[in-house]
Amino acid sequence: MDISSDESDDWFIESLNTYKDLHVFQLEHPTKVIEWTGDKNICVAGYTGSRSEILELLLPLKLYAGENQGLCAERDFKVQHGGFSEEPIESLIHISGTRCVVTSGSSSSTLQIWDIGGDDSDVIKRTGVINLKSTSVKGCKIAPGLTDEPAVLHGSCISEVQLTEIATGRVLYTVAKESSDSVSGLQFVNACVFLICASDGTLFMGDTRDPSTCHYPLEDSKSGLHWAFGLRSDSSQSEPSGCTVARLSSSGHMLLSDLRNLQSPFCQTQLNVQHDASKNDFLNVSWAPVLDRCLSVSGKKCSSPQPVFSHRGHEMSDEAKYSGSPPVVTTHSWHQSRPKTILSVATDGSLHVWDWVDKITDR
Amino acid sequence: MPDIKVTPLGAGQDVGRSCILVSIGGKNIMLDCGMHMGYNDDRRFPDFSYVTQNGRLTEFLDCVIISHFHLDHCGALPYMSEMVGYDGPIYMTHPTKAICPILLEDFRKITVDKKGETNFFTSQMIKDCMKKVVPLNLHQTVQVDEELEIKAYYAGHVLGAAMFQIKVGSESVVYTGDYNMTPDRHLGAAWIDKCRPDILISESTYATTIRDSKRCRERDFLKKVHETVERGGKVLIPVFALGRAQELCILLETFWERMNLKAPIYFSTGLTEKANHYYKLFITWTNQKIRKTFVQRNMFEFKHIKAFDRSYADNPGPMVVFATPGMLHAGQSLQIFKKWAGNEKNMLIMPGYCVQGTVGHKILNGQKKLEMEGRATLDVKLQVEYMSFSAHADAKGIMQLIRMAEPRNMLLVHGEAKKMEFLKDKIEQEFSISCYMPANGETTTVVTNPSVPVDISLNLLKREMALGGPLPDAKRPRTMHGTLIMKDNSLRLVSPEQALKELGLSEHQLRFTCRVQLHDPHSDTDTLGRIYTHLKSVLKSYSIQHVPDGTVIVESIVIKVTSSAEEPNLKVILLSWSYQVNKHVMN
Repeated sequence: MDISSDESDDWFIESLNTYKDLHVFQLEHPTKVIEWTGDKNICVAGYTGSRSEILELLLPLKLYAGENQGLCAERDFKVQHGGFSEEPIESLIHISGTRCVVTSGSSSSTLQIWDIGGDDSDVIKRTGVINLKSTSVKGCKIAPGLTDEPAVLHGSCISEVQLTEIATGRVLYTVAKESSDSVSGLQFVNACVFLICASDGTLFMGDTRDPSTCHYPLEDSKSGLHWAFGLRSDSSQSEPSGCTVARLSSSGHMLLSDLRNLQSPFCQTQLNVQHDASKNDFLNVSWAPVLDRCLSVSGKKCSSPQPVFSHRGHEMSDEAKYSGSPPVVTTHSWHQSRPKTILSVATDGSLHVWDWVDKITDR
Repeated sequence: MPDIKVTPLGAGQDVGRSCILVSIGGKNIMLDCGMHMGYNDDRRFPDFSYVTQNGRLTEFLDCVIISHFHLDHCGALPYMSEMVGYDGPIYMTHPTKAICPILLEDFRKITVDKKGETNFFTSQMIKDCMKKVVPLNLHQTVQVDEELEIKAYYAGHVLGAAMFQIKVGSESVVYTGDYNMTPDRHLGAAWIDKCRPDILISESTYATTIRDSKRCRERDFLKKVHETVERGGKVLIPVFALGRAQELCILLETFWERMNLKAPIYFSTGLTEKANHYYKLFITWTNQKIRKTFVQRNMFEFKHIKAFDRSYADNPGPMVVFATPGMLHAGQSLQIFKKWAGNEKNMLIMPGYCVQGTVGHKILNGQKKLEMEGRATLDVKLQVEYMSFSAHADAKGIMQLIRMAEPRNMLLVHGEAKKMEFLKDKIEQEFSISCYMPANGETTTVVTNPSVPVDISLNLLKREMALGGPLPDAKRPRTMHGTLIMKDNSLRLVSPEQALKELGLSEHQLRFTCRVQLHDPHSDTDTLGRIYTHLKSVLKSYSIQHVPDGTVIVESIVIKVTSSAEEPNLKVILLSWSYQVNKHVMN
C-alpha cells in the first residue's frame, strides 16, 4: 500500500524532521487529567462514563534509556495500577512523597481519597472522602498542600476554598472572602502561600498563617470570558519572588505577572484564537519546568503569534479522520526532566508523547 | 458437573513460551508448543511430565494446534513430536506450515552448530515432525474425530497467525495465540464471530500494555534510515527470508519515491526467490482489502530496490541493504556487518528478536567488542537500533475481542494473579463473566452449562400447546412431559404412548387406593347411593356415574362401599384413582 498523499500521512512524513521522538497511543477512555506520581509514572482517569477508571501508567522505557536509547525497543505504556470511581473525574492530584491521590468529580459533593497501591497489588483503593459544601458540575478545583502532613486545598467558588488535612478531615484554613466567583484554578506557591485564579481572571493570594486574603482583579475585565492560569516557581520553592503567574483568557489575552506585584502584569500579549464561548473546558496554560521562559497552551486553536512549536498530532490521527469533528486536547503536561518532552491527551482518547526539534538550537 | 480444564505448562512465573493443555468433553488438546528463548538447558522445553507421568503423549492427546510460526509458540514442536514422542495430528494454517520448518531449521543450526549443544532436535526430526502436520484454511470447520472439531480465525499479528475454536458437542474454547486488534498496512485486525465459547484463552501481558502505534514505529525506522543516509552512512538490516523484510521494503520504496531520494537500496539475492514464494502465500491468506492493494503491484518490481551483489558492500557512499540471516549469526548479513561495523556513520537496524549465542544478540546487549573467527576482535562503532514491529493487542484490544466473541468465561495465562486483580475486576464487571488466571502448572477447572439439543415429535409439541399456558420462549423455559429416547447419536422427545409403541411395551397403569371409614346405619347400597347424590350436587362439572355393579365413578376415581358382618354400620369406603388425576376432584 502506498503512503497516500493524504494529509495525515503528509504530517507523519514531515514529523521526521519536526519531532525527535513521537509516540501515539490510544487509551480505552479519554482523560482530562495527567498527573505525575513518580519520575516515570502518571495517573489518568476517565470522565465520559458514569463509572470511570483511574489508571497509573509507567512511561515507555525507551524515554529513559539515555545513550542506550537505540538498544531499547520498549515503546509501550504499562498499566501498573487501576481502580474504579463511581463518577466521572474532573481533577486528580498527587500528594508528593506518598502513594495518595485525591480526585474530584462532576456528580458528587465529596472529594475522593485513593491509595494507588504498591508492588503487591494492582488495585487502586479508595481510602476516604472529604465532604464538600456543594456539588459542582465542573468538579471542585483541587491542589496538593506542600506541608509534611498531607492536605488538599479545594473549592469550586472563592468563598468555599479551604485547606483540609487528609488523614483527619480537619479544616486547617478557610478563605475569608465573601465571593461567589467560581474558581478556575488554585495552587500552593510554597508551604504557606497559595494563589487562586477565579474564572473571571481575578487573582487571590493567601497565606495559611494569615486569615486575610488579598485579591487582584483585572484592570480591564470583560464579561463572558473564562481564564486559566499556570504558575511557574523556581526549584527552591521557598521564595515567592521566584514565581511567575501566567493567565490566559478564552479570547486569547495572555498576562504574565510576578508574585511581588500581582496588580500589574509585567507582560501582556494577544494570541489569535478561535473564540468559542462553549468550548472553554479544556483551556490550559503551563510553564515548561526545564526550559527557560517557555509556556505551552492547549485546548484552543491558536494561529498567531507564531509559536515555537505546534503539535497537530491529535487532529492527524486515524481516529480523527473517521469522526465528525476533530478531537480537542483536554490537557497536557511537561515531562519533569526531559526539557522538550510533552504528554498530551485529547477527547478521542489519544495520548501522545512527543519531543520537538528546535530548528535553531538542535542543528 | 460437566467442565473444561485448562493447564498452562511451564513452571513458576516464566512468560517466555506458550504451551497450554485443554481437556474438553473427554478430549485433550495441546495449544502451541513453544520454546523458552531465555534458557539454555531443558527448562526451555515445556514440562511434558504433567502428561507423560501417566502415559504416552500420543494416547493422551487428540491433537496439537499451533497458532503461528514464532519460536515461542512452535519452537519445541520437533522436540515434542520426535524426542518425547507424539504421532497424532498437528494442525496449523498453510502459511505457518510453510514458514515453521525454515525458522526451526535456522534455530537448530544456531543452537547446535554455533553453540555445540547436543540435546536438541535434528534436521531430520524437523522434517518428520512436519509430516504430521494437517494444514487448514480460515473459517473451515475440521473434524479431528467424530466429536472434536476445530476452526481457525484470522488473528493478524504475522502471516498465517490464527485464533482457534475447539468444539466438542455444545462446549467450546477459543484460544487466541498472539493477535492484534488494530489493522495496519499489511495485516488486518483479528476477527471472530459471536461464537460464545465457554472459555476465551488469551495472554495477560496484553491487558496491561498500551501500545505505541505502528505508524510511530515505522516513522522511527524511516527517520533512522534517512538520518544515516543523509550523513553518507550505510544501513544494514538483517532479516529472515520470510516476514518483516517485505513490509519494510515497501515502506522504504514509498518513502524514497516521495522524498525523491537517490541512495541505493539493495535486497540480497537469497531473499528474492523466497520472497516471491512468500508473496504468493501472503496474497491467498490476507483479506480482500489488502489483497486489492497488493495486486496493484508485483511486490518485487521495485523502482528503488535492486538485487545485491556482495561487491557493492565496498562501494563508497550511502546505501541500505536487506540481508539474511536475521540474527547476524552467519552468511551474508554477517559478512557485510564485519565490513561496516567499524564506521560510526553507519547503522545496524535489528527488526526482530535474536537468539542467545548469535552476534545479533550480543550487540543488542550492548557489546562493543566481538570475538570473531581466528581470534580477531571486531570493534562495534556503528549505531545500533533495535526495533519491534510486531503487532500485538493491548488493554483496549482485549476488551474489543471479548465483545466480539462473547465468551462465558475468560482465562488469562502468563500473569501473576495478585498483580492482575484490577484487570480481573474490570472484565468481571464489564461483561459479568468470571476471569481466571492460572499460574503455570496449575489446572483451572471451569464448570460449563452445556445445552443439549433434542428433537421433539410434532404430536408431542401439539399436545403441549393444547394444554395452554405461555408460548415456548428461549428466555423462559417451560417444563413439559415426554419421554427421551437416546438411540445411536440422536436424542428425541416423544409422547409416552409413542415411546411405548416404539419399544413394543404395553402401558402399566398404577392405581392408588385409600380407605375412608364412616358410620352410616343404611345398607351398603344406600350409602353408596347417598354418596352418589352428594357428589352429583357438589361436583357439577364432572362426569359422575353410578354403575350397577356397585361402584361410583368420578372421572377415573372408583368408589366402593363395603362393611363387615360384625359391624354393619361401620362403612369402609374404598377410593381408588389412577396416577394422573385432576386435583380439584380430590378436594
